[in-house]
Amino acid sequence: MQQPAALYEPLRFLTLELQKQLYQVESFLESGDLARAEQSLSRVDYIDNHHLNLLRRISEHTRLADQTAEVDPVTLQSYDHINHSLKTLSRQLQEIVFQARNAPKTAFRLLTKKRVRATFKHLTNGLELIEPAIEAEASTLAIDICRLQVRIDQVCQAQLKKYQNRLRKGQQTDALLNASFIVRDLNRLGEALLRIGEGIISANLGQMIQIERYHSLEATLSALSLDPLEEALTIRAMGETKSGCTISGVMSAEESEGEMLAVFKAGDKTKLKEEKTGIESWHEIYPGIAPKVYSYHNSGNKAALLFEYLTGDTLEKLLLERERKALREALAALFETLENIWQETRIETVHPAHFMRQLKKRLKDVYQVHPELESQSVNINGLKNADLKTLIEQAEAFEATLSTPAAVYIHGDFNLDNILYDPLSKEINFIDLHRSDYQDYVQDLSVLMVSCYRLNRFGPQDRKLIAQTMHAIYDYGRNWAETIGDTDYELRLALGLSRSFLTSTRFVLDSSHAKAMQFRARFLLESLLKLPPEQLHTYRVPREIYHD
Amino acid sequence: MGKKNKRFEHESLQDKDAIVCYLKAVIQGFKKGAIEVSDEEDTITLKPEKLANLKIKADQSKNAQSLNIKIQWSSDQSDDFEETPLFIDPKKAKKKKS
Repeated sequence: MQQPAALYEPLRFLTLELQKQLYQVESFLESGDLARAEQSLSRVDYIDNHHLNLLRRISEHTRLADQTAEVDPVTLQSYDHINHSLKTLSRQLQEIVFQARNAPKTAFRLLTKKRVRATFKHLTNGLELIEPAIEAEASTLAIDICRLQVRIDQVCQAQLKKYQNRLRKGQQTDALLNASFIVRDLNRLGEALLRIGEGIISANLGQMIQIERYHSLEATLSALSLDPLEEALTIRAMGETKSGCTISGVMSAEESEGEMLAVFKAGDKTKLKEEKTGIESWHEIYPGIAPKVYSYHNSGNKAALLFEYLTGDTLEKLLLERERKALREALAALFETLENIWQETRIETVHPAHFMRQLKKRLKDVYQVHPELESQSVNINGLKNADLKTLIEQAEAFEATLSTPAAVYIHGDFNLDNILYDPLSKEINFIDLHRSDYQDYVQDLSVLMVSCYRLNRFGPQDRKLIAQTMHAIYDYGRNWAETIGDTDYELRLALGLSRSFLTSTRFVLDSSHAKAMQFRARFLLESLLKLPPEQLHTYRVPREIYHD
Repeated sequence: MGKKNKRFEHESLQDKDAIVCYLKAVIQGFKKGAIEVSDEEDTITLKPEKLANLKIKADQSKNAQSLNIKIQWSSDQSDDFEETPLFIDPKKAKKKKS
């Protein structure tokens, strides 16, 4: 974390004054000596001065930040966050003193327990750690500060339980109640440490984080016995997923070009649970394609998943960077992998993709992003053109007449950026496996093809490579269909493409691009519905739709 | 990128029969796969692709009515792009060799 003198200095003074206040409150509770209580209260003025001074300097820096860019905005926010947390801690200490001053002498005797002492020891340690944690490059000390909150909570809860048991016996109720209130307030002091640690970690990460998420990271890491303290790990923010999970890379701190050890994903529990299950099924069904899961941790509706960091590039990157040679290699490796997977995971039963049913479910979301796509039926001098809803209904009936080959284990969200290719090992890996299941292989192929088309690149060279990639995927699928005697490949592919063209418009903000995708979706459905029965098996998905 | 954009425009007063003739000429061009338009200076030959965007607009006001038909397709005149496919069907490749 950066230490601009103008901010760091008042923060150090503030911390120092708080250490004094804490020490005096502790001795007051130990001794019941009211003079100590007064001394502790007299610190509050100093604390207020430093707090306000820091507040003023942060706001000056914020105003200047645009011009000088001397201190980054997240660091300013972090100083602000720590400043407020320290002030809150001071106020809470003050309240404890007010509460304890009126408590009966016997309550003090109840407080001179090793658990209460432990609480103060943790708080003192936490305050002492602030400076080194700010000055350290890694977040390990800041994590330690956060961790103290958990320890404080544990000891205070244990102490409160003791008091409760004694309260039930009906003796010393007044003193016990008073002591309980004080211990409960002491417990709340830990929260400030959590927020301070959070501020420092945020500055190190370059983004404000919620400690509850980071907390799960720590729990996850310790489950892996990659103790952040021992291993000196650093955590780097890597981005966010469409579903709102945050992704971080975990690397060893020693090497500055640190080797990535693992990927940490935190967010919605349901999503991550699905992902974990997906990865585990792949390990069972077709080992070696999914990343290893190191640990999984959840609390409430949040969860965190720590898994293997896979080397290589996504196919999306290869396509966007027009790495033609690497892309060709990657596609060859992908097709070989798919063939193996499809051969080995084939089951007896048939699980149709129900493309039109999938489409109907998503249509509302599509219209939310692109209300202009909601079309009406038209009539041009007797030539009728149905509205999209009717078209989908008719296509659904058509789909029901098609035959589907035996199901294979599919990825389920087979986008270009969920496939990794490592040029050194020439291996393919899959990520984002929360929707994997046994299904029609055409589901994966159609999603993959449209994930090419939807790319937000419009240069003629880009569009050509995109079309060629789609064509390659189509050809490969056609080849496989012939191998297994899948006579309805083209028809199901057209439905799958139509479904993906339409549903993917949700992720495409460029309205003319979205329109082009919608036109393709409609065109495919219309052509299928126009087919006379004798032409069903000579139908080919027109390659022209790959081009812009 | 060397070629300049070309443009042809024509506007005239016609009777109904003549308009049908014009439309038929366009239809013929579509069927043939080439629509040639020219004036004294230049000739443009459009080659409709298998797929094209069709936009039909009808306007009605107190004083006038109009029908706009716009047909648009992408054309690719650059040939500096590698055309070899990214996937070669192993079976077809074998057939070619034998």
